Parts: sequence; structure tokens; C-alpha cells
Amino acid sequence: MAEIDLHHQLKEVSRFLIDYAASSMSVGMQTSRVVRNSERIAAAWGFCCDASIFRNSFIITLWDSSRDHSYSSVGNIMSLGLNFQINAALCRLSWEIFDQQLPLQQAKDKYLAIVRTPRESRWLVIVLVSLANAAFCRLFKGDFMAMGIVCVATFAGFFVKQTLQHRHWNEFAIWTISAFVASMIASLDYTFHLGTTSDIAVATSVLFLIPGVPLINGIMDLIDGHVLSGTSRLINAGMLIVCIAIGLTITLRLARIDVL
Amino acid sequence: MMEGITFSGLFLDGLFAAVAAVGFAIISNPPRKTLLISAILAAIGHSSRYLLMNLPFFETNIASASFVAALLIGCLALPFAHWVRVPVEVFTFPSLLPMIPGVFAYRSIQSLTKFLGSSNSADSQQYINLFFYNGLTTVFVLAALVVGIAIPFFIFRKQTFSVTRGIKRVSATQVSADNSL
Repeated sequence: MAEIDLHHQLKEVSRFLIDYAASSMSVGMQTSRVVRNSERIAAAWGFCCDASIFRNSFIITLWDSSRDHSYSSVGNIMSLGLNFQINAALCRLSWEIFDQQLPLQQAKDKYLAIVRTPRESRWLVIVLVSLANAAFCRLFKGDFMAMGIVCVATFAGFFVKQTLQHRHWNEFAIWTISAFVASMIASLDYTFHLGTTSDIAVATSVLFLIPGVPLINGIMDLIDGHVLSGTSRLINAGMLIVCIAIGLTITLRLARIDVL
Repeated sequence: MMEGITFSGLFLDGLFAAVAAVGFAIISNPPRKTLLISAILAAIGHSSRYLLMNLPFFETNIASASFVAALLIGCLALPFAHWVRVPVEVFTFPSLLPMIPGVFAYRSIQSLTKFLGSSNSADSQQYINLFFYNGLTTVFVLAALVVGIAIPFFIFRKQTFSVTRGIKRVSATQVSADNSL
């Protein structure tokens, strides 16, 4: 009977860990931190956990402390979008489970509450991103006309991006279309000779789409030795950059701009 | 780029980097209280990179300057992390975002498409030149940023991975699978 009990416990904890690790990966946690946190949670309940993590899925094997029984399961990593608030809360939860010896049910409840935290309001994000991209344009020595146009272009581009993401379009299509919309508006600066730095306006208008966090995470994973998930993050980010370039190229062809 | 630097230029550089950091950070939905920290760190990082690249004495290239700036951000981040109790990358990554070489990244792709479309060999040589210059700058700046920020975290590895810890467990011998589940 004891073995059946143990099996049942392993199964329940594995299920929890699968959910925990899947959402940790999808909100943009470094792979080595996901592995550490999962090991810590398993240790809190007296188990050992081995994980191997890829981009779309991962395998977790949970052992009991004497390494006589194990339970393996494969989890799928869905895409929740980057979310550092959930990232920080999940890290804190792993320490809470470890230090306060939370029972499994309580840990599950806390986990669900964390994952369901609402995001920042859509309009706050869109306004701040527009201002940020305008400031970014200034860092590349754009003039005030360019800054204004980049602000408007980013607003439109980001609005399109949010709307399409809400409708669950293909990621690469979203990036191409948003880059096209943003750069098309920014190219008005060039077409109507509004400012003196129109090339910078066109160039920076799409920079809000550059996947900065996945690029940093990818290199971080490579340093930590998680080469597979690191390269897949980098390759995905590189493909998004190619999509941005495609959207921008369409604009350059349509508006007959010959800048580099 | 060598027009000489002024105090106001430096200040504005930091200010705009801070605005950019806040805006790019909020895409990844960080906790509110860390936004201010990323803004401060971004301002310090970006303006120190600006200094290194423009001071007549240094005139460093962009990759080395980024490395030093990221190192500085990484060192300053650890005390902040203990203060707000969030993982360091939650506010250090956003503070790196204004330094991400986005312009170089797409310029390299742009020159690649131009290379494919060019008809004479002088043009194609120039474009392949530009491709390698921009592409390598992207890779090196990116690597410099991440390695620079990671070095302090590796030195203080234990502290880095336990900043989110609350009250410590009373004794480690309490671990028992049976009564805790």
C-alpha cells in the first residue's frame, strides 16, 4: 500500500511541477533558474527532480529520496507572453514552499492566484512604449520632428500588434505587419520632407519590436550551459528580427526610400 | 560622434535612456516598484557608455563600452535586488534594453537583402562589408552586455539566487515527504 501512496504523491507533485515549470519558462525566466526552482520545490517535499528543458516542451523526472521510485512526465510550454511580475512571484513561491513547508494543495492555490494576476492596462503600456521609442529615437540623434513621428508610428504599430496578439495570429505575421505599419507612418517624414533626420525616424520606428529580453535570456542560457534552449531562444528572436526587416523592406520599396 | 560632450548632453542621454527603459520594460509587465529601479540603472548604464565612447581620453568602441556599462549595472543591481526582493533579471534586463543593438541588427539584414539585389560587384562588395560590420557589432554588443551583467551575478551566485527568499527555514532536518504532503 505504501508504494501506491508514494506513487500517488510523486504523480501529484509532478503534475504541479510540470505546470510550474511550463509557466516559468513561458514568462521568460532563465532556464537555469527554472531548473533550480523546480529542484527546490521537489526538495521541500523530500523528492529529487531532474529536468531537461527544450523550447516547446520539457521532461521532468521526479524521484523519491531513496531513488527507488520515479515518475516522469512531459510538459508543454505554451506562450503566455513575457511577464516579469509572475516571474518574480513564482521565484518567491518556490522559496515559500521550501522554507514554510507548504502543503501541496496550498501551493497549488497560491500558484493559480499568481498565474491569474492581471497584466498592466493595455493603454498605459501603449502610451509608455510610444514615449520610449521616441526617446530611443533621440538617443540615435533624431530631431524633434522625428521623435514626434516615431511616437505616432509606434502607437499605431503597437496597437496593431496588441490587437493581432489578442486574436492569436501567427507570431511572425504579427511582427511583419506591425513593422510595416509603424515604418509606413514613419516614412511620411521622408516623403514630405518634414524633418532633417527622416532616415533615423524610419529606422527607429520599428525598434519597439526587437525582442530584447529573449535575446538576453538566450545568451544567459548559453553561458549557463543550457545550449539547446539558449539557441532556440536566440533563433526565435533572430527570426522575429528578420520579420521586422521584411516589414520594413516593404515600406522602403513602397515609399521608394533608399536609405540604409 | 566626437563633437565633445557637455554636462547637459550627458544628462539628456541618461534621461532619454530612462524613459526608453521604462517603456520597453512595461511590455514584459514587471512589478511596478521595479520600474523606477530599471529607469535609474538604465540612465547610469547608458550615460556611462556615452561617456566612454565620447570622452577624448577613452574613445572606446561600442562593444567594450557596453561591456563596462553592463558590468556597472550588474554591480549596482545586487543591493537593489535585496531591497525589493525580486530576481535580479526582473529589473536589470529592462535596464539593458536601451543598449540592445537593434539598429545594427536590422541594418545587417537590410544590407543582406541589398546584397542579394545588387547588380554590380562593387556594390555587392560594399553591402557584404556592411553586413559583416553590422552583424558582428550586433553579436559582440549583445554578448558584451550579457556577459558584463552576468559577471557580478556569478561572483555573488548564492546571493543572486536567494534574493527572493523570505523567512529562512528553521531547521533543515524537518524535511519529510510523509507529513508535509
